Amino acid sequence: MRILIVVQRYGAEVVGGSESHARVVAHRLAMVNEVEVATTNALDYWSWAPHFAVGESMDGPVRVRRFAVTGVRSPTFKDAERHVLFERHTRSDEEAWLAMQGPHTPGLLEFLRREGKSYNAILFYTYIYEPTAAGLPLVPERAALISTAHDEEPLRLVPYRALFQLPRAFGFLTPEERDLVHARFRNEHIPSEVLGIGLEPPPWRDPEPFREHYAPRGPLVLYLGQVSEGKAVDELIADWIAHREGGGAGSLVLAGTARMAIPERDDIVSLGRVSDEDKYALLEAADVLVLPSHLESLGIVLLEAWQVGTPCLVSAKNKVTSGQVARAAGGASYDRGGFANALAAVLAERERLGESGRVYVEAECAWPAFDTRLEQLVDLVAT
Amino acid sequence: MRLARVRHAARAARRPGGDLSGPSLLVVVQRYGDVPGGAEAHARSVVQRLRPHFAIEVATTNSTDYLTWKSDLTAGLDKVDGVTVRRFPVERPRAWNFKLYERRAFRGGHTLDDERAFIDAQGPYAPELLDFLYRRGRDYDHVLFFTYIYYPTVLGLPLVPERAVLVPTAHEESAIGLAAYKPVFHAPRAIAYNTEEERRMVWRRFRNERVSNEIVGVGIDVPAERNAARFREKHGITGPYLLYVGRIGVSKGSRELFANYERWRASDPAHDVSLVLVGDAEIAVPKKSGIVHLGRLDERDKWDALAGCAAFVMPSLLESLSLVTLEAWAAGRPVIVDGRSPVLAGMARRAGAGLAYRTSAEFAEICELLTDDPGLGDRLGRSGADFVARTYTWPRVVETYLDLFAEVRARLAA
Repeated sequence: MRILIVVQRYGAEVVGGSESHARVVAHRLAMVNEVEVATTNALDYWSWAPHFAVGESMDGPVRVRRFAVTGVRSPTFKDAERHVLFERHTRSDEEAWLAMQGPHTPGLLEFLRREGKSYNAILFYTYIYEPTAAGLPLVPERAALISTAHDEEPLRLVPYRALFQLPRAFGFLTPEERDLVHARFRNEHIPSEVLGIGLEPPPWRDPEPFREHYAPRGPLVLYLGQVSEGKAVDELIADWIAHREGGGAGSLVLAGTARMAIPERDDIVSLGRVSDEDKYALLEAADVLVLPSHLESLGIVLLEAWQVGTPCLVSAKNKVTSGQVARAAGGASYDRGGFANALAAVLAERERLGESGRVYVEAECAWPAFDTRLEQLVDLVAT
Repeated sequence: MRLARVRHAARAARRPGGDLSGPSLLVVVQRYGDVPGGAEAHARSVVQRLRPHFAIEVATTNSTDYLTWKSDLTAGLDKVDGVTVRRFPVERPRAWNFKLYERRAFRGGHTLDDERAFIDAQGPYAPELLDFLYRRGRDYDHVLFFTYIYYPTVLGLPLVPERAVLVPTAHEESAIGLAAYKPVFHAPRAIAYNTEEERRMVWRRFRNERVSNEIVGVGIDVPAERNAARFREKHGITGPYLLYVGRIGVSKGSRELFANYERWRASDPAHDVSLVLVGDAEIAVPKKSGIVHLGRLDERDKWDALAGCAAFVMPSLLESLSLVTLEAWAAGRPVIVDGRSPVLAGMARRAGAGLAYRTSAEFAEICELLTDDPGLGDRLGRSGADFVARTYTWPRVVETYLDLFAEVRARLAA
């Protein structure tokens, strides 16, 4: 089968959840299909500045077609976005917003219109960007939409009203995403598959140095990911301080690029970005992983924690991550104010919850299970 | 959900002419009222029949002329047959060089920009109608779009897809091959096709079998009293005659009809059969003996004319549903169609009520056959009347629409 994957950015060096998922899917499908990727020449999702060479290249067995982004994102984009999201505005404002957001790639769209019919199935990644929002309507009869949607303002905008009625099938990352899309667009009649993700076995790592370092001070509570307000790390820090002031012990370790100010305290450690090996060593050494973010479309770090038997604590505000935790029975979710109690409860049952998470990930994220779900999605759309 | 209903009821109550007797329905069509055009007449007759079942309104333009889209009506609220009609201004007439936009969009190496420019240039360019659908479309339980091809449908349907039902009135033509039309056929909740032939063509092109659909069409009202003698006397028509009713123009195949008729009469002067044309002429009608152009007729005159014809001739290739062909059958007359029109030839075959020609010689042969053997014409005509009574009746059409709309509402409320 000839399969095309359309995604806003692509490559080993691209950081981003949906982009990583797209690359994993491309390589899994390429084991038994002819797989191509249509993408842009951008690396950065904000500026869309040119980075890769336009044209064809190979990423292992996957043929990558890169099309030029015309223009970079306007410096006034944020103002335009605030206007369409939160102020009185017109239909044309919403339509213009899509092109302003970018990546505006006319060559990719023309390619889809001309060559789309030569593929049996076309998988579109991320509902929000122009290659999908303007590209999928050109080939709806062979399209699957892997929307990676969460409950956010742009989902209400004009360019997406029809988009979610057009594909032949949906690939969702979680059951929560499926429920959100169905509730918003009343499109239950379009078949769908909850894909989740497949994971490689964790690499070799040594958790002992971290354990030896932190254990004397009490439980090691780990946050792994971008350290920013957008990920609600500010709330986590406030909850942590309240927990300590209430007599709780331990260290909060933040591993990830810091994009906010972090209070200088002995019990809060910011490690910055860590290597893959250190990442898994930290995950295994931690007594619990905390994910306070309200907007996660999959929460892949939860799955990685469970791979090494560490339970997770997630914000109850995020339906996706609390759904994941409930399905895996691998931790707990907390409301603001209930952090300390939830933490104590998870620590008390660390081994049982961690093991349950490990069993869940082994069943759901093993490659054969993922490949089967992927194959079902492709079968739903293939011509 | 309950809140939404209350809000909706409040808005319905504020709407001019809105009543709370049933679910609400907005009908979107490029022209509406006393305008010629099959799809427009179709829309108006459907509105009249659905009116008892819905709080119904029409959103359309302030133009009656599909060639120029000149603004010849007042924009704003209007009433037609007691139904509220919202007329939105056409902001620019059809481009004088529209043919150029057509050529650009229909050539092999065209771009998406060519397609977009074609849709705007074809018109009717009424952005305020789109703004209305954007802001208020979701206040209606359903929105029924007539005709896939024009700006109000192509750009309007994607604003309310979850409550949209499309009456495509589609046939094979260059425009339907444009990528811009794919969402129109994939996004709506349901499609009401006119004929099996239309549905087959759309499925083959778009692969949109998944979209809920029915073959709906229209109902034909047949007046009880039809008097051929009255027609002959009023217009001074003697002897057998072939009849054409409709717009007389290039796209309707009128030139081929004139040529075929003249060739037949020249080669076979013994058959003194005239060709009676009813309708506005966009091209010159040949001043040849035997050809009679009567212009537009009222309904009674038209049915009298249909009742008396030896055969009704429909030379148009581009029809998704020819109302007047159905009327000819309802009047019990046979129909002569161009075999290259898949819809008309398919319907004539299924109805067992028409003969199709592919060449001038075949046209002549059919004309001779029907004039020499009036019994054959009567038999075919009876079969046509049965076909129409079986398929194209208002109770069936209305019921099918009600079912489609109920399905749309059920999905929205689920």
